[in-house]
Amino acid sequence: MTSGVTNARNERIFKKTSDQISSETARVLETLRSRADYTREFDYFLELAESGMTPEAAETRTGLTTIKLLCVQAPLELIHAAGFHPFKVFCGSNAACNLASRGLPALACPMLRSVIGAAKLAQSSSESPWVLPTTCDWVVKFPEMLAISDVAGEPDSIRVHWLELPHLKDRDDGQRRWIEEIYNFKKFLTSDGRRIKRAALAESVAIYRRAWQALVRLSDLRREGRLSSIWFMLMTGVFFCDSPQNWTTAAERAANSQMTPALRGAKVFLAGSPIFFPNFKIPFLLEEAGLEVVSDDLCSSERIFPGSVACGDESEFGLMSAMSQSYHQGCVCPTFIDNDRRINNILGRMKGAGFKGVVFHVLKGCHPYDLESFGIETKLKDRGLKFIRLETDYSGEDSRNLNTRLEAFRQTIRED
Amino acid sequence: MSVAVGLDLGSTSIKTIFVKGDRAIWRGVAPTAPGQENVARSLINDGLSACGLTRGDISAVASTGYGKKLFPSADRYIDEISANAAGAFKMSGRQARTIVNIGGQDLKVLFLGSDGRVEDFRMNDKCAAGTGRFFELVARLLDTPLSGFDRLYEAASGDVEINSTCVVFAESEIVSLMARGIKKEDIAGALYASVARRIAGLLGSSSEGGAIYIDGGPAQNRALANALEDELMTEVRVLEAPQYTVAYGATMMLEGGD
Repeated sequence: MTSGVTNARNERIFKKTSDQISSETARVLETLRSRADYTREFDYFLELAESGMTPEAAETRTGLTTIKLLCVQAPLELIHAAGFHPFKVFCGSNAACNLASRGLPALACPMLRSVIGAAKLAQSSSESPWVLPTTCDWVVKFPEMLAISDVAGEPDSIRVHWLELPHLKDRDDGQRRWIEEIYNFKKFLTSDGRRIKRAALAESVAIYRRAWQALVRLSDLRREGRLSSIWFMLMTGVFFCDSPQNWTTAAERAANSQMTPALRGAKVFLAGSPIFFPNFKIPFLLEEAGLEVVSDDLCSSERIFPGSVACGDESEFGLMSAMSQSYHQGCVCPTFIDNDRRINNILGRMKGAGFKGVVFHVLKGCHPYDLESFGIETKLKDRGLKFIRLETDYSGEDSRNLNTRLEAFRQTIRED
Repeated sequence: MSVAVGLDLGSTSIKTIFVKGDRAIWRGVAPTAPGQENVARSLINDGLSACGLTRGDISAVASTGYGKKLFPSADRYIDEISANAAGAFKMSGRQARTIVNIGGQDLKVLFLGSDGRVEDFRMNDKCAAGTGRFFELVARLLDTPLSGFDRLYEAASGDVEINSTCVVFAESEIVSLMARGIKKEDIAGALYASVARRIAGLLGSSSEGGAIYIDGGPAQNRALANALEDELMTEVRVLEAPQYTVAYGATMMLEGGD
């Protein structure tokens, strides 16, 4: 009897959450479609966002089994060469986040809460494994969080391949251990008897190189003010929902089209925690306050993958080494200890780009970004650059407060 | 006569000021209520009547505060942090470098350069602790108007503490103190000390000497400045008509256009 009541209650909660997620998604899509800078070239990306950003949907589109990823350190080329589709699992729904909040620590990462909430609703049919790099504490505890939330049974029952990430990336021993991890990962991918041939790996590297080149073109368009950051974030946000080839073709088509110039504003660099569809609160608020993001270092946006794997040696070892290096040394995730590259990246990209301010987005509970923001703030201010730190979550209730800060921030930039 | 009108459409009250040159000639306030545009218009009409002016005497209207865009006929919309800085800088005789604004639902700390420009600022987030709403809630609990809080604070022993920083928990704590028979005076003293600690936390170590200026509605009670002085061990000055600094500053920014 009790369990019948509980099930009925859960059904109602799930139905309500599901309706709220649909409504959040529809609202953002409607706003995007009614923008002055909307063009038909964005339809492909809008449709991907609309038709479900789940591993199951990606499997249907690509015809491949997915490998579910969190973070950006697992080499996509290797997964692709093994005949899988790499799918970075994410969710920006506040309703999904609230659903998962029951039973999880109050300050758990909103993005992972949202992922868990969406998984609870979906009753995921995908049996594909998770590949989790040991980045932040929340990612390390993710299988436990899934178990606590009744998405999975015991943590041990979830198929996870851990990539143990050496957090000192500039040390030789760290780099050696990482290469070993990548070889272990290859073993994991081929544990069912499939093989990764050198030619397939080289082909995958080429496919992702083309995707990277398309991403660079889009970044350039954004920097030139011809593509607004909102569209850029939508396009990068759906990167994993289809094959890299299809995404690249659509991105190239968009880049070649006659775009309506983006809404102009004071140019800023956006750093910090990732932003996932449909939680476009921060990008919308930035626009509303007259701030134009012309570059970013979010792992949901310009950093969805680390760049083209540069390789002079196309032997299997050469390709594997180049991939390892790119996804480790090239990564500026704040969970690394030796991460000067991140601030240097920001300063380098700001140089000569005509913008003076950095907006640093911190998701409540995202401790590595939170901590790193203080050092970055000091270094930027020492160079006379403006900095604002926005700590927020997926809810909309602090929007007016954030707007007040951003408007004042724009004023401080303009006065300079 | 030509006057500039400053409107500050805040979360708990709408403040209106008439400024001639740089001198305030009339001030009016009304609680924020649905139909904010009408409330603001009504205030402007009150001001015109009080000063014997007509609409034609208004040179421009500057609107600021959370609800600034709800007054669509304003000549300029100004973010409240910039307006606050402009008003406080002017009213302090260009002396203010650190300003603490206690609003209806937020707390702000502004750091100004020697030219009055905002160099940095901080704001509390969703929490209402230490804001005007907090004071209103305590006033209701103690059944004492806010105007009587200075008297209560003066008579406080300083032996009581409110430890909760959350308004909801602080409310429970105050109810519990009252149930234990703790005097209103001591509760008021504890309230101000708690708010002062919160402001000090927001200020951090950034205040580089010199007086701290406070404004916003709750700054009308000198008790807040005294509590803040006790906490920060530095001089705290209350700006004249502190509730209107932001509206005043908005009129100062009318030239320059958005």
